[in-house]
Amino acid sequence: MIPQVIILSLLIFVLAKMMPGDPFTGLIDPSTDPARLEELRQAAGFYDPWYIQYFRWMNNALHGDFGISYMYKYEVTTVIGQRIGNTVRLSVISVILTYALAIPLGLYAGRYQNSWFDKAVVVYNFISFAIPTFVLALLMVYIFGFKLGWFPTSGSVSINAVPGTFGYFMSQLYHVILPAIVQALLGTAVTIQYLRSEVIDAKQMDYVRTARSKGVPTGKIFHRHIFRNASLPIASTLGYEITGLVAGSVMIEQIFSYPGIGNLFISSINQRDYSVITALILLFGLATLIGTLLSDIIMSIVDPRIRVQ
Amino acid sequence: MGGLSRMSTEQTEQQEAVSIPPTGIRMIAREFKKDKLAMFSLTVLIFILLFAFIGAMILDQDVVTKINILDRFARPGDSSMTGHKYLLGTDEGGRDIFGLLVFGARNSIFIGFSITIITSIIGVFVGLIAGYYGGIIDSIIMRIVDFIMILPIMLIIIVLVTIVPRYNALTLVWIMSAFYWVGKARLFRAKTLSESRRDYISASKTLGSSNFKIIFRELLPNVSSLIITNLTMNFAANIGIETSLTFLGFGLPSKTPSLGTLTAYANNSETLANRPWTWVPAALLILVLMLSINYVGQALRRSSDARQRLG
Amino acid sequence: MSELITINDLKIHYPIRSGFFNLVTDHVYAVDGVDFTIEKGKTYGLVGESGSGKSTTGKAIVGLEKVTSGSIIYDGQNITKAAVRKKINYNKDVQMIFQDSMSSLNPKKRVLDIIAEPLRNFERLSDQEEKKRVKELLDIVGMPEDALYKYPHEFSGGQRQRLGVARAVASNPKLIVADEPVSALDLSVQAQVLNFMKRIQEEYKLSYLFISHDLGVVKHMCDTIAIMYKGRFVEIGTREDIYNQPQHIYTKRLLSAIPQIDVRNREIHKAQRCAVEQEYQLHQKDYYDENGRVYDLVEYTPTHQVALNNGGVNYCGKPFYVACF
Repeated sequence: MIPQVIILSLLIFVLAKMMPGDPFTGLIDPSTDPARLEELRQAAGFYDPWYIQYFRWMNNALHGDFGISYMYKYEVTTVIGQRIGNTVRLSVISVILTYALAIPLGLYAGRYQNSWFDKAVVVYNFISFAIPTFVLALLMVYIFGFKLGWFPTSGSVSINAVPGTFGYFMSQLYHVILPAIVQALLGTAVTIQYLRSEVIDAKQMDYVRTARSKGVPTGKIFHRHIFRNASLPIASTLGYEITGLVAGSVMIEQIFSYPGIGNLFISSINQRDYSVITALILLFGLATLIGTLLSDIIMSIVDPRIRVQ
Repeated sequence: MGGLSRMSTEQTEQQEAVSIPPTGIRMIAREFKKDKLAMFSLTVLIFILLFAFIGAMILDQDVVTKINILDRFARPGDSSMTGHKYLLGTDEGGRDIFGLLVFGARNSIFIGFSITIITSIIGVFVGLIAGYYGGIIDSIIMRIVDFIMILPIMLIIIVLVTIVPRYNALTLVWIMSAFYWVGKARLFRAKTLSESRRDYISASKTLGSSNFKIIFRELLPNVSSLIITNLTMNFAANIGIETSLTFLGFGLPSKTPSLGTLTAYANNSETLANRPWTWVPAALLILVLMLSINYVGQALRRSSDARQRLG
Repeated sequence: MSELITINDLKIHYPIRSGFFNLVTDHVYAVDGVDFTIEKGKTYGLVGESGSGKSTTGKAIVGLEKVTSGSIIYDGQNITKAAVRKKINYNKDVQMIFQDSMSSLNPKKRVLDIIAEPLRNFERLSDQEEKKRVKELLDIVGMPEDALYKYPHEFSGGQRQRLGVARAVASNPKLIVADEPVSALDLSVQAQVLNFMKRIQEEYKLSYLFISHDLGVVKHMCDTIAIMYKGRFVEIGTREDIYNQPQHIYTKRLLSAIPQIDVRNREIHKAQRCAVEQEYQLHQKDYYDENGRVYDLVEYTPTHQVALNNGGVNYCGKPFYVACF
């Protein structure tokens, strides 16, 4: 894992270097004497060899210093810190909804194979695989947000709400629901397909036949044995869900005008705020890495056959 | 004696006609005939392709993309000053949505197709080599592949799109291809690994065939059904990715019409809410396109796996 | 000089990697010191249980396995290196028949292309000559001519195996290594394929190395039989030597395990088997060293070699088959 983090940071550093501008663009009065600017640049180590710059950048990053945001004129960490809570809230609710939706749908579709329920689930699954994120999000926000007016179409919390009250919390929840539903609808794709096929395969297995011949009632077979066996490896899809959320958050937050870090990424690209961009890519990259690592760890705990050395 | 051998040649030629390979065009056609929905999807797909490509040849791109402020945001069915009827209305620049749809469809399809072809060639090649030779070559290739897969690819593409100078559609194709070949490489490596273990590969080695010959003459045909299925699914995915990027503003340059640029009108909440004719047709077209390609791809996948066949 | 191939101290070891850094911690001794000579026109049998190393040895002779140490000499050259094999076109003379007929034929190729593959690699023939030759080969293995344009999945197991034989014979090899060629077939079909193989041997004057775990098949086909255990040879001898006068306790055990259908004498056979098993348990240390490794081969008669302790000599100085007191 560590080598991957290092290579990731190197890559991002290279990317950051490729972006035009230097640490002082936008912070300093343009009418400053160019000689003075040169002095400042020297002092800030702008002309140092690349590996020294890299180590300085990494060192700063590890201490939480990512520089100053060009757009907002204060520290990058503060800028990100203000919005990360929103994105985390959205992501957590999305994951909960995803599994709350995927697990019963997948398991019962597998159990009642070829019933109308199963056929509907298969169709839904197929569409959720094929449809691009933004198309679904646009249609949902148009129908449920604007035309029907059931949900708010922008922001993370209503302007009138007072922070710290229950009303504030409810308002946050209200704003999060529609985008979370969209993410959940899309995120169930892999999990439903996996669970359904696992249950269908398990029905043929010998241990199920044994239980049935022993007279164990069908419902019990499913709940106690099949569902449990099928559900455990879901941990492996957890990592995939997290990476999906990372990419999806950019799109969803943009469409719902939801002030999270996905939205921040887009606006900072548009404004050429390179310090924020760099920090965000690092953050997203780490999130993906951690997600993958997490699912590996959970898998090894849950399945005794796979053990990390 | 001569007559007998002539007869057996004819018989042999008859036999040539009868023997079909395990998954040939016949199998695929049979599968489609049985699955009505797949047939329907295929028809829809062909119709859209014709619409896009023939339409693009008929219509004049310059006329369609010319800004015409007077006709801003005309509703579907309105006519312009010159008497031209706008089937789907116009956008904020007064451009005919219908025309933009045709050109946008053509561009998005063409770009999606190009990326699919390029990534397939790279991915299959790398996957075959890694899976066949194994050992150190495989390890190195897999390290690279694993690393790229972990990256937040879309974000990096967005950044690259803003940095690269002289940016155009071709650059987008190259940037996307540079990253998206890895999923394919992994898939084909896995398939190659399992196929390489089979005895006919060992047999070919003892029969004196060179490694190059084995990879391309023995291995490749057995991987071909996977290639075709994957190509189709990937085609849909790439169209989706390109339109997503253009929607955010980081795909095709704004001068080039794409289905993504049309849907990007929805970024403005005023247009999103009150002028749906600008973005809804494009969004729906993307949806239908991807669904039909995916369904055709599923039918192809089923036809190559005897267990799942319907026909 | 009727020697075709001489194998000297062949060793094939596979490294086992484990631990966090994937270091080599141990080895699998698939083949651990094998000496063997194959002569022209003779049929050899290589027998052993699963994991004894017989398939690995066979594959090494054909050039499919990487050899850790030792040599395989053909025509004065050590063919354990791929470059040497390529230079002298080794595989034209040494071919293989595989166990799994379905997996050893490329499902996407027609029979004509499958059998013509060695011809295209080793000889320069026109299309017509090639077709003629393939038809001849099909005839030798008793397959109809219309098989030319069919695909492997259109044939039964026995037919596919015969196609495999035809392919192996195509380049006129001097030695064919047959790796359990009939293990996956029905008994009646087994006889058919084996008979074709015998016919081919007579016609082409080839040598066979027959690898099998089935002692019955080996008895039918082979003049000289070698028994393998844990990567080493335990006993080599002619058919009569092995079946009538087995010397190594492992050979005896293997032979006693052949099921005999003789209902009336069931009790006697059972008693014999038990006796052999007892002898096996008692005399382990005479025939295996402290690590369980088989000893080197010692000459018992000019045609018969046995793996014995101490060069075949008892602790009292007499030959091993004479009791000490």
